Amino acid sequence: MTTIELTALTKEYGGTRAVDDLTCTVEPGRVTGFLGPNGAGKSTTMRLVLGLDRPTSGAATVGGRDYTTLDTPLRTVGALLDAHSAHPSRTARDHLRLLAASNRIPTGRVDEVLEETGIAPVAGRRVRTFSLGMRQRLGIAAALLGDPPVLMLDEPANGLDPEGFVWMRQLLRRLAAEGRTVLMSSHLMNETSAVADHLVVLGRGRLLADIGTTAFIDRSSAPRVQVRTSDPARLRASMAAEGHEVRETGGARWVVEGATAEEVGAVAAREGIPVLELNDVRVSLEDAYLALTSGAAQFAAASPRTTTGTREV
Amino acid sequence: MSVAPVIHSEWIKIRSVRASWGSLLAVLVVTVAVTALVFATVGEAEAEDGGDLVKGAFYPLNFAQAAAIAYGATAVSPEYREGALRVSLAAVPRRGLLYWSKAAVITLTALLVALPTTLATFLVGQSLVGEHAIGLDHPGVLRSLVGGALYLVLMTLLAAGLTFLLRSAVGTLSLLIPFVLVGSFVIGDAAGGIGVWLPDQAGNHFFREAATGRLGPWASLAVTAAWAAVALGAGWWAVRRRDA
Repeated sequence: MTTIELTALTKEYGGTRAVDDLTCTVEPGRVTGFLGPNGAGKSTTMRLVLGLDRPTSGAATVGGRDYTTLDTPLRTVGALLDAHSAHPSRTARDHLRLLAASNRIPTGRVDEVLEETGIAPVAGRRVRTFSLGMRQRLGIAAALLGDPPVLMLDEPANGLDPEGFVWMRQLLRRLAAEGRTVLMSSHLMNETSAVADHLVVLGRGRLLADIGTTAFIDRSSAPRVQVRTSDPARLRASMAAEGHEVRETGGARWVVEGATAEEVGAVAAREGIPVLELNDVRVSLEDAYLALTSGAAQFAAASPRTTTGTREV
Repeated sequence: MSVAPVIHSEWIKIRSVRASWGSLLAVLVVTVAVTALVFATVGEAEAEDGGDLVKGAFYPLNFAQAAAIAYGATAVSPEYREGALRVSLAAVPRRGLLYWSKAAVITLTALLVALPTTLATFLVGQSLVGEHAIGLDHPGVLRSLVGGALYLVLMTLLAAGLTFLLRSAVGTLSLLIPFVLVGSFVIGDAAGGIGVWLPDQAGNHFFREAATGRLGPWASLAVTAAWAAVALGAGWWAVRRRDA
């Protein structure tokens, strides 16, 4: 069981805190979505785990060990950081072969991961001829090369077509089901919610949530009802009497905040208000996420240390 | 982690990027081509004018060093394309191991090409100057063959170290190429005594029958070696210290 452990992890770039006192553990056996707006510190955190950047304070370890002390690190952590990191004039096979050689991974494994990621037919082509989606698959192939118990993928869905995204979702689910630790970053809530069992949400380098995906939705969904009525004035008055605000949303539809369809229906029946349409509105995961991260952004905007700007990660 | 797999990996890196191995091959090809061209046209006349025959025989190495610098730069620069160094360091997180393995592969490959280059330059050139030809047993020739090869390796390493520091082949080339082709002569001539301490001046003092100037041939080569060592040290400092 190999986890990724972050302990009070902090990284500053010239006065800006890209990662701010981040503590959490990424557990095996599930896909953890690493969420946050661009610049929230996701990529920086991954670089810190890999020892590419050095933390200002705190620590990031894999299975309790500093990544840089691992004997054959590719056999422990498979990482995809940037789809463009394979040299354009190398062939896909050479890119994988040189990585395999450095960690004593048998060359046969190169062909296996080429097959697994669907780029075997173009393995002999130079990377410069690859589309973004193919480069992304090559990056995932490189991550899988050492058959590692931990996978860390930065925006793996970038550039994938819908079919590619479905493939990646199934791959990540299978890897997690095999008991591996899978951390996948994204700034898009919808693609993440389709894959992740668990969420770690960052905003301005800080931990905003470390929670199961379902629990996150439940926690964030305040009740809300959409109504279509021919008598909005009475609806508004009677709902106000119950303590609920009513807003018009266009198309003669009205939204009642903080109420369920059962409550609104009962009130309308009692008052004899004609109701043409009535349904509960679930807060989408995206809304919940945006509410959470925009709050962090507002907080951060008021803080003087962010005046130096953020580093794009 | 052990050294052999990393050396193997670094070798694949060089042979799988055309710019890298192309520059390496150019050391041999360009030099022999220039030799053939120069000696076939003016070789005999130059030899008749007298002067130092060894110096004349190894003159084309001036061009070889430009190719050697290009190899040193392009063997390193692929690491600084996009996020390549991150991938390299994720595979080999011990930075010293990565850095010095790459330096070792560059040294070895450069030496393997530099030795045939100096030998071919000498043999091709001498085959074109008729009765003025000198043999391998001529004073200073063997020293120039070996020392010339070492000199090319050192210039390669100077360029490699500098490229790690500057993170760009273009930076290295635009600094070193004008310097060795033009700048050094100007500075060397203008500043007199300083000249012998410039990295590429070993060439001028090395390929002679007899030592000239203040420093002897091997001392001149040591000056070049010191520059290469400083560049490699600076490159190492940069790789060790920087966030990747």
